[in-house]
Amino acid sequence: MTLDALTQLGPEFMLLIGACIVLIVGATAASQRVQWASPVALVVVLLAILATWRLGVPEGDTSIPGLWLTPLTYYVRWITLGIGALVILANWHQPSESERGEYMAMILFSLLGVLLTASANDLVVLFFTIELVSIPTYVLIALSRQDARAAESSVKYFFLGAMSAAILAYGLSFLYGAAGTTTIQTVGSGLSVAGHVTGAPVSSTALVGWLLIFAGLAFKVAAVPLHVYVADVYEGAASPITGMLGFVPKLAGFIALIKIFAAFDWTLPQSVFWLVWIVAAVTMTVGNTLALIQRNVKRMLAYSSVAHTGYMLVALLVGPVAGEGPMRDGVAALLFYVAIYGTMNLGAFAALTAFKTGQRAVETLDDIAGLAARAPIAALGLAVCAFSLMGFPPTAGFLGKLYVFGSAFSLGESHPFHQAVIALAIIGVINSAIGAAYYLRIVSTIYVRAEDAPAAPASGRPVRWCLAVCSIAMLILFAWPSQLASQARSATVALHATPTRYHAVSEDPDAANDTSPDDFDPGH
Amino acid sequence: MMSIGLTEYLVVAAVLFGAGIFTMITKRNAIGILIGVELVLNSANVNLVAFDRYLERCRIDGQILALVVIVLAAAEAAIAVGICINLYKNLATVDVDTAAKLRG
Repeated sequence: MTLDALTQLGPEFMLLIGACIVLIVGATAASQRVQWASPVALVVVLLAILATWRLGVPEGDTSIPGLWLTPLTYYVRWITLGIGALVILANWHQPSESERGEYMAMILFSLLGVLLTASANDLVVLFFTIELVSIPTYVLIALSRQDARAAESSVKYFFLGAMSAAILAYGLSFLYGAAGTTTIQTVGSGLSVAGHVTGAPVSSTALVGWLLIFAGLAFKVAAVPLHVYVADVYEGAASPITGMLGFVPKLAGFIALIKIFAAFDWTLPQSVFWLVWIVAAVTMTVGNTLALIQRNVKRMLAYSSVAHTGYMLVALLVGPVAGEGPMRDGVAALLFYVAIYGTMNLGAFAALTAFKTGQRAVETLDDIAGLAARAPIAALGLAVCAFSLMGFPPTAGFLGKLYVFGSAFSLGESHPFHQAVIALAIIGVINSAIGAAYYLRIVSTIYVRAEDAPAAPASGRPVRWCLAVCSIAMLILFAWPSQLASQARSATVALHATPTRYHAVSEDPDAANDTSPDDFDPGH
Repeated sequence: MMSIGLTEYLVVAAVLFGAGIFTMITKRNAIGILIGVELVLNSANVNLVAFDRYLERCRIDGQILALVVIVLAAAEAAIAVGICINLYKNLATVDVDTAAKLRG
């Protein structure tokens, strides 16, 4: 590993060094001076975006042990850092000042975890990065506001998260035992060497491992039946950090799922296909049904987050399909959708952050009644995000759903389960129609209902900028989606390679593995 | 005398896993749940080290993963204690059943 190779990790190092500085200075500086933590964190993320832009698209670089820098890394860097900057804007004034340094550092660490998940090429690194994403989010919820509800939701999130991480570790141990290697590129061929040719039934050890890994990651992406925490956690945490919770763990979880599916070369037994099929169908139905009966907007958006996970699982089942355009490739559609979802979800929560009723944060439908009369621009932003979540043109949410369901409908007859996938997509379309009901309730509440307890503007400008950028981005991405879509498309190119081709790329996986934990030490 | 092989280790790990999950589900005390999490994490470690010892195709990687799991378990325990103290400051208890304000 040379210094030249390490410069390829520029954005990651920026975040790491920035997070450490913000953390240490924030913890030691006098409390009234911590207010610069937010601008510094924003500058760090912007520098990381600059570094991403300067470095360009990496072409399958394996010179750093344990990591594999691909176009997927590049795409995930862009969307994570872009939405990360918006998350910092939404949280600009959020925690009490004495804790803002720690709070911003935790956001940066979590973003760093997502970036490294996208590059992870080793089960050790993958487990490490998933934890690096999760552990700061537990702290963020507890810090986000000083009341019993935040403490309760952090406890719930932490213990369920720790349980899912432990199940993930147990699953990874079985996958390692079956494959004999922790390098993700060679896990597939490792399974074949162990007597199971790819395409043939995988061994029961590998299958047990896969099931446990799926269970562990289902928590991160909030899929049924591991969605039970979502509503309580979203309600208890402060609004702006909730906007981040809908995006960061979901993106990391789906990247890990894509990597695990790719390690199995997207060929899994029929029972596994039907398991994911049922999970996807139940996830979107349960999410939408429970969202319909909520009166608290945050709980409603929490269940909507579960429903969106269901749509994303449809795209995951389609898998990578060679061919032109994101309309055909399930993984590209998934990566496109998760970026759109992260933005529109954050926008909706930023709109809630921008107001307060009395001394209380805005939470229920009654709180936002008649908002349009008092704050027409902010109400318009919230309406755009709600329409986008609904999947209604002219917003990018429509294109996201179009790509996801389009990839399912255009699946060729050669695919063994193409009828089942199309049936699932039809369930998804029906669910989108059901989902429209509660998003329309938000829109009609802010425009039609008379205000009984008028909400007053709460926080400063940065939150409004965040809302403005999120809602304008939804309109712009509807008009010009091609840049983002083509990046998502090229991010999946490496996934089309067969495991045997993966094997040829990395010369000596064993030598590479021995030093992989060193990668995270900034001193090297 | 019966020789101890891979299967025995895997059974021990599976028992640890089951005990950990059972502890997490039944315990009401937050620290008790944390003990359950540690049991499950250590069942993964037993698996990893046993695979390295008994399988020809597995060499050192599993032990490295086990070490990473141990380090992350320590980090998680630190966060857990912090979160429990935060809960205690707010509710004067670490009984998770008492923390039930959030209901929809």
